[in-house]
Amino acid sequence: MGGSPHDRAPSGPRPQDPPLLLVGTDFRCSPLDLREKVSYSPGETEEMLVHLLARPAVAEAFLLSTCNRTEILLHPQDEDEAYRTALELVFLKRVPELERPGRLYVKRNGEAARHLLAVASGLESMVLGEPEILGQVKQASALAEAVGAEGAVLRRLLRSAVSAGKRARQETGVTSGAVSLGYAVVELARNIFSGLGDSRALLIGAGETSRLVARALLERGVREIAVANRGAERRQRFQEEFPEIQVLPFEERLEALRSADLVVAATRAEEPVLTARQLAETMDRRPSRPLLVVDLGVPRNVEPESKRVENLFLHPIDSLEHLIQRNLKRRKEEVPKVEEILDQELAHFRAWYRGLAAEPLIARLQKQAERIRLQELAETAPSFPPETHEVLDRLTRSLVRKILHHPSTRLRGKGGDEDLPRLDLVRELFRLDEEKDGEE
Amino acid sequence: MQTVLSAANILLPLAYLLVAVDYGFLFFAAHEVAERTATPALRGTVLLHLAFLAGLAARHRQFPAATLSQALSVVALAVAIVYVFVEWRGRARSTGFWLVSLVFFFQLLSSVLARPNPPDRAIFHDLYFSAHVSLALLGYAAFVVAAGYAFLYLQLYRDLKGGRFSTFYGKLPPLEVLERMMLVALGAGFVALTGAVVTGALWAERLYPNWMHDPKILATLATWVIYAAALLLRRLRRWQGRQTALASLAGLGAILFSLVAVNLFFTGFHGFL
Repeated sequence: MGGSPHDRAPSGPRPQDPPLLLVGTDFRCSPLDLREKVSYSPGETEEMLVHLLARPAVAEAFLLSTCNRTEILLHPQDEDEAYRTALELVFLKRVPELERPGRLYVKRNGEAARHLLAVASGLESMVLGEPEILGQVKQASALAEAVGAEGAVLRRLLRSAVSAGKRARQETGVTSGAVSLGYAVVELARNIFSGLGDSRALLIGAGETSRLVARALLERGVREIAVANRGAERRQRFQEEFPEIQVLPFEERLEALRSADLVVAATRAEEPVLTARQLAETMDRRPSRPLLVVDLGVPRNVEPESKRVENLFLHPIDSLEHLIQRNLKRRKEEVPKVEEILDQELAHFRAWYRGLAAEPLIARLQKQAERIRLQELAETAPSFPPETHEVLDRLTRSLVRKILHHPSTRLRGKGGDEDLPRLDLVRELFRLDEEKDGEE
Repeated sequence: MQTVLSAANILLPLAYLLVAVDYGFLFFAAHEVAERTATPALRGTVLLHLAFLAGLAARHRQFPAATLSQALSVVALAVAIVYVFVEWRGRARSTGFWLVSLVFFFQLLSSVLARPNPPDRAIFHDLYFSAHVSLALLGYAAFVVAAGYAFLYLQLYRDLKGGRFSTFYGKLPPLEVLERMMLVALGAGFVALTGAVVTGALWAERLYPNWMHDPKILATLATWVIYAAALLLRRLRRWQGRQTALASLAGLGAILFSLVAVNLFFTGFHGFL
């Protein structure tokens, strides 16, 4: 991969960010049919990373591909060449239409680093604060690591990105509150029942909405789920997709209702599938247990009068939309806090990068000391009995290490422009430039 | 002894303040450290409080409710004990902030009003009387706590029923848990109030032959009947959470009536409270 730019000694002003290049497309720039074509499976990702690393212009590479975005992040040796390579290999070779203006975005250096942190925190997601992206970034990082595409710079940057994502989740409310129909149902249920693990759910209808709700309920550990549907074919398909869910004929829904804590109706029926009278009779048999009924059908699947039944909580789709909008608003209010976290993590990354500038100096200081030690040892050791030579070696080694420990620790991490005079002073005091010249 | 009691008098409100802050971190930020420390800190403070009141009783050789300051401290301890019990049975801690803040407020008032030498009152040497007052305060504290949960239950019930999502929505325990905590507090209060009525009757029998004509006792018996009916109807599943919550608030109204209105408008031997 060739030498990295930070092998050089700090001899002049140094940029605060390492060279980085990010090229990508996401849901804002490209429609789904284009995004699908530049979507990379894990195997394809590995293959692409290997291709990129074979180019001398690319030192390190990271490829993130989700349903909403495909991005390639490079630590380039030659930025222009790396850009042409990434553009051609990752995007245009698959989808030439992406060459049209506005389809791709390009970010460089600090801007690219910050963008990655924002992506990992969910700020760039289609649904603000969507938590799955952090796992996707981690997986993509593991793939890059596996093929040796991550070097020191990208590894450290991805560590910052994962840290930013975790902190955004733990320290702010940007991922809290349900923002999808399935999870909005779960959120309502969690406000009523002491534990979803003890609850039973009945879904009426076996369409796409019921599937979404079923997935959310299963993920949250609802104890039992039953689905009642008119069409046998759809029931069959539902059963195949969710073998753990009990599938019932539509006529058995009232029987199942008696033991249910949560009912979600999502059918296209023209007439209500649950009437107020049916629900009132059910509640008479179970007076002390609340019942949550969510009506996701249009037209309504549950008679609105059911709302008057004691201990029954009926929520039409509008109510869920209201809840989702409220949660989204709250997530937006948390964005400034996440931005602060991104600033902090970016500052840590930059401090680390600046620190790299002092490393060659520290290495030369240690090398010089070791040379002097060996020279002195060679001159002095013959005056001592041979059995003491090992002790002398240990003693001098220990002395040198202890003398250099503090200065090395203090120098480490000093690489910013403001630190350059200090590094120059060290170089002059220990005549390290002469040392280098001598070596050369 | 007096020095230790004086120090405890200052330490107690501070300890409750710290515990309230801990519960605040739990309620507002779901902080991990607060998750681990809030309950043990509260239990430790309650033990300190118990030791403090036991020390007061030993020092002055009378039940420590002879002054307003001491009575407030007993009330604070009663609310704290009820909350510890309700939290343990209800397995939810997110309401602790509000109740521990209430305890802190009572104890702060008590500490500010504290005087080193309370008057020596013969009535506070009687064991039956001491048990009667302790149980009555514990019962009333439990009913206040139950009314608090009833209020929160009705708020959340209204939000969920009407599809409105107020500030409290999402921060309170689930409806079922609020109901369970309300019922635990009601049950504890009912047992304590029954004990207060029985010990009060035994004590009054010796001193006031016509004690059944006392308006405070009649009002208290009416309160007891309200709570007994509410608990029985809930037990028989005739009532649901909402009705029980409303009955809990009505019961609190009856308690306030027996504490305030009866003392203002009637005369009887319960004039000291």
